Amino acid sequence: MTLAQQAPLLHIEDLAVDGDGVSIAPFSLTLIPGQRLTLLGETGSGKSLLAQAIMGTLPKGLAARGRLHIAGQTFAADDTPSRRKLWGHTLALLPQEPWHALDPTMRAISQIAESHRHVAGRSRREAGAAARRDLAGLGLQDAGHKLPSELSGGMAQRVAFAAASAGGAHIVIADEPTKGLDATRRDAVVALLARTSDDGGSLLTITHDIEVARRLGGEVAILRQGQVVERGPAKRVLTSPQSDYGQRLMAADPSRWPVPRPLTCKAGKSVIEARQLAMARGGKTLFEDLSLNIAPGEIVGISGPSGCGKSTLGDVLLGVAKADKGEVIREPSQSRLGFQKLYQDPPAAFSPHWTLRRLLDDLIRRHRLDPAAIVPLMVHLNLDPALLDRRSGEISGGELQRFAILRVLLLEPCFLFADEPTSRLDPITQQETLSLLVELARERHCGVMLVSHDPALIERLCDRRLTLGDTDTKSPAAITDTAAEASLSP
Amino acid sequence: MTRGLGRGLPALLLQRLLQAGLVAWMVGTLTFVLTRTLPGDMAYRIAAGRYGHDMVDTAAAEAVRAELALNQPASSAYFGWLWDLLQFDLGRSLVSGEPVVRELWHQLGHSLGLAAVAVALSLLLGPPLGLAAGLRPRGMLDRLSEVVASVLRALPPFAVGLVLILVFAVGLGWLPAAGHGRTAHSVLPALTLALGLAAVSSRVARNAMADVSQSAYYAFSRTKGLSDRLTFMRHGLRNVAVPVVAYLGVQFVYLIEGVVVVETLFAWPGIGHALVHAIVARDVPMIQGTALIMGLLFVLLNTVVDIVCHLLDPRRRHA
Repeated sequence: MTLAQQAPLLHIEDLAVDGDGVSIAPFSLTLIPGQRLTLLGETGSGKSLLAQAIMGTLPKGLAARGRLHIAGQTFAADDTPSRRKLWGHTLALLPQEPWHALDPTMRAISQIAESHRHVAGRSRREAGAAARRDLAGLGLQDAGHKLPSELSGGMAQRVAFAAASAGGAHIVIADEPTKGLDATRRDAVVALLARTSDDGGSLLTITHDIEVARRLGGEVAILRQGQVVERGPAKRVLTSPQSDYGQRLMAADPSRWPVPRPLTCKAGKSVIEARQLAMARGGKTLFEDLSLNIAPGEIVGISGPSGCGKSTLGDVLLGVAKADKGEVIREPSQSRLGFQKLYQDPPAAFSPHWTLRRLLDDLIRRHRLDPAAIVPLMVHLNLDPALLDRRSGEISGGELQRFAILRVLLLEPCFLFADEPTSRLDPITQQETLSLLVELARERHCGVMLVSHDPALIERLCDRRLTLGDTDTKSPAAITDTAAEASLSP
Repeated sequence: MTRGLGRGLPALLLQRLLQAGLVAWMVGTLTFVLTRTLPGDMAYRIAAGRYGHDMVDTAAAEAVRAELALNQPASSAYFGWLWDLLQFDLGRSLVSGEPVVRELWHQLGHSLGLAAVAVALSLLLGPPLGLAAGLRPRGMLDRLSEVVASVLRALPPFAVGLVLILVFAVGLGWLPAAGHGRTAHSVLPALTLALGLAAVSSRVARNAMADVSQSAYYAFSRTKGLSDRLTFMRHGLRNVAVPVVAYLGVQFVYLIEGVVVVETLFAWPGIGHALVHAIVARDVPMIQGTALIMGLLFVLLNTVVDIVCHLLDPRRRHA
């Protein structure tokens, strides 16, 4: 590196964000070449706003204060236009949800080549060659002609990484770079990010995934409600946090969850049973000869890489989709309403225009339910009655997902397919939500199928687990009902 | 409109061809049934068309009836027409006696010319305005163009045409109100059609542009270092064009319907004008022929739209 070893690449002095009911307390940090800093925090703690404030891409209505020293230049935080010329050259932002960040109508290689051509200023031919080199270096040599919709989440993130860093930026800001990726792909993206600082750049990562922070190492800062509650070397902060919140956050890591009380009475009857299901999508076998049964109150986990057919299996079990082969036998005393689904993205599962009270009232009227059931459930789910008069966008993601659980339990289901219900929530909220879900399912004898791409979570929470697809080299659709014979696994 | 998603272009074209056959049969049958159920004696109407209203008497009508075999049962007339159609024979006009194909060929040229100018004009007006409005959603231009577009689209083409005549021909005297021959004659009828088309395509373009400019990939293109202009050229235009072009296919209904009204209003000697005259004169082969051509034109234009979408949107080619 030609850069002076200790001169900071990025120095942030009292950066604060205000406006629209958001407030992030003044925050300072220094990143020298080769350094990594990870901002860890719950959803809604303003982590992403910090990244946007540094880049100068804050949404309308929010203003940044403070000073930024970026690669030897000084900027006022609210002077966003002058920072724009740093984009791509000095500052690179790795986007959330890479699938959405790539142009759906442009091939992968062109999206990388255009950065080489228009940002790094190479000739058309050189840019094409550089893009091919990038792809090969990332193990994507065959994916250049593909469109984003044909890439997996992990591949899309690598393409986005190449496109963002082609301009030669030394400071990389990664905003939730592993959102929606399964464990294997997450680790691959983390390894890729680590390269930046290995090459003498600085890396600022924003995440709610403790595992990402652990794997990146370097320095960690824990954020809560716009305040840094703790910072220090990753090793220390992640193993022996000093702050109360840091301790709670670490305890919320699935690998440290207390074991829930086991399923006591396993009745002979199943709420749902599937026999020899087979399903293929687009010429690819998702599952074959899949049989399973779920007892009342039992929690069965499904894991597997993205796109392996977890959600499709749910659709088949719920009767929304039809399997190519096999049959599903549902508890005959239950109507269709007894088989319900909990969705991944709570905001997408609620109409944004009505208050939650109105939405629940509509449901009660439509299905002639007992309105008296709401209050005890709200108490149980730790939901403040005042929240009923808000709209879905006005409460936190964790609260909204608990409302989704409440809404689905009002229908007194005997089977619930929970499709990654907490993948967008931070660890503490995730633990709260899931332990409530398990507790209520046990109490109400509702069988639950829980989808997650976190093996530790499934291990901890579920009575049995089912692995769809295969992350290893074996056949892409191998199914192992790991505990089907061994009655109850831990 | 069926989308050629997941299939290649040949499959799409084959599908369109089958659709064209189906449209030909349905349009022909429908016009046959409709003309048969129109009130009044066909023989009198045809005779009036041939000899003029003052010259028609029972004898002339009977002569027409005998000559054209109007007495034959409906079924044999229908199957006769279908058989001729299978041999691409559209018959002769009952009024002029000329082959329908020859009459249509002449008129179709005028109509296509008018429609082409109208579509070109609407594309010059609508999408650019929509793009500008979509880049600043809820801005002044956006709100103003929304009001104008709503008014223009809510008005039927004949009302828009009349307003244009009143303003530009009667009031200002800049352009001729009706007729055919000089370029000036085509301005008002083409503009009438273009305004209705542009009203919709500007809103489609506006919504597409607003969506694209709010999208994560648009933001990413900027943060990775591309200028606003490059971002618009490389990631805006194509993504906006896909829905705008696709929606053109739907708009052709408005165009074809508009051609009939506008040609009549501006005395433009095209196929729409011919259709109205043929209906008045009960010239069944001409009615069937014009309706058929219009139906097939719709299929053809939609095929063109599909091909353009196919070329624009690589997702279709890949799927």
